Amino acid sequence: MDPINPWLDPAEVRHLAEQLLRPVTPTRLSAADPGFDPSFVGFTSPESVAAPAPAPAAEPEQQAPAAPPQAPPRETEAPHRKAETNLSAISESPQPPPVAPSRTRFLERIRIFRDWLAKNFHATDIFILDREGKVIFDESGHGRLHFMARNLALASRGSGNIHVKVGPASILEVIPCETPYGRIVLGSIVPEALPANHVQTITEVLIQTASPA
Amino acid sequence: MISIAISSQKGGVGKTTLSINLAHAFARAGLSTLLVDADPQGSVGLSLTRQSRLLSGFYDFLADPAIPMERLIVPTRLETFSLVAAGQASDYEAGNGSSGSHLARVRAFLRNVSARRYDICLIDTAAGLFGVTNDVIASADALILPQQAEPLGIRSVPKLLEGLNRLRIINPRLNVLGVCLTMLQQGLAVSTEAASTLRQLLPEEMLFQTAIPRDEIYIRASAKGLPVGVLEDGGGAETVFDSLRAEVQAKLGKSRHQAHIQPD
Repeated sequence: MDPINPWLDPAEVRHLAEQLLRPVTPTRLSAADPGFDPSFVGFTSPESVAAPAPAPAAEPEQQAPAAPPQAPPRETEAPHRKAETNLSAISESPQPPPVAPSRTRFLERIRIFRDWLAKNFHATDIFILDREGKVIFDESGHGRLHFMARNLALASRGSGNIHVKVGPASILEVIPCETPYGRIVLGSIVPEALPANHVQTITEVLIQTASPA
Repeated sequence: MISIAISSQKGGVGKTTLSINLAHAFARAGLSTLLVDADPQGSVGLSLTRQSRLLSGFYDFLADPAIPMERLIVPTRLETFSLVAAGQASDYEAGNGSSGSHLARVRAFLRNVSARRYDICLIDTAAGLFGVTNDVIASADALILPQQAEPLGIRSVPKLLEGLNRLRIINPRLNVLGVCLTMLQQGLAVSTEAASTLRQLLPEEMLFQTAIPRDEIYIRASAKGLPVGVLEDGGGAETVFDSLRAEVQAKLGKSRHQAHIQPD
């Protein structure tokens, strides 16, 4: 029996190798990236990358969410009440997200989660990627942040959250999270790396937010 | 200066042997060469210097970038050949830390090396594409991929290529010089067949023509703490690495010509 070929796809290997041989033109950070400090190293523009890129959501309101929105709107008595319960149990935790109307679309629940995250953890540029790296929700407008978050999440191999300094007082906090719809990746800019208990809280609330009622 | 990372997805593929002897070949050719041990196992240091367990090194710099480079660089009897050991930093698990966490310090290290006017900096990394190895690849100018000529190693190639394509997002100027077959056993059908399969799988320019044979001379060399070319009967092996060095230089020259690598 051939000890190699049944284990791999020759066309895929060749494609990946050819992709590596193709030159990539380095680009500089532009002034139009207010989310990044010039001292940050490591990003490149999405245009210069050969690998498929998750397109940033130009208009989050019009962005079709990944898995959850494909399901019809349903009663959601649980998610936000669950979130409220959990949050109240955490001493350091701030105000829970406001109670949403009983019929709440996925994106609306995410927005409530977003407001809670921003208010209580001073998070900005919040975005959520699905398991394919596509944008579910984005208020950052920075495709580079999505690239970095996706790669960090892949590199972490399920070992938890990861953070990278992107400026003097800016940390990109990446929290991969398993939900009933598969793995999603939460990214946000925070002033300081989040402690483990806050990451745990955020993860729990995000799972509830992203879960069907 | 050109920095070249030597990395592989799988361990035990002869990465350190390739790093030591290729660095030695560059140094013998008159290029000022620094060999950096970025593998927490410290195999370069263990192979080349008895003091490796006492020397400060690469991981000490990651822990404290204020350490002067003079304390890290170890000269050898060959004037053009110096090395930096892995070091004594207590957080050796840094080798497995989150990707990106040491990126700025790895780049600072390379800037310091470049300021000392080395021509070539070869970096022997830990196996796998994560942690500090990721940060080294995300900072280096070029990359050589040793690949053991046996089926299991070659099955890991798709994962390696996938990982490298992701890393090029972070380091778009990374020049993947190619895969170098190692531990090739001409008398063993499964080894030559694996080599032949890899040659069919990859584009020609992705593979070095030079392959490193499996040979007991490498074990003898590391036992004596020497590059293989220094041994009395090391002439044959020396020729192999001279040939690899010439290929690397040709590829770098071509890349410079195409302006993919910007000289300092």
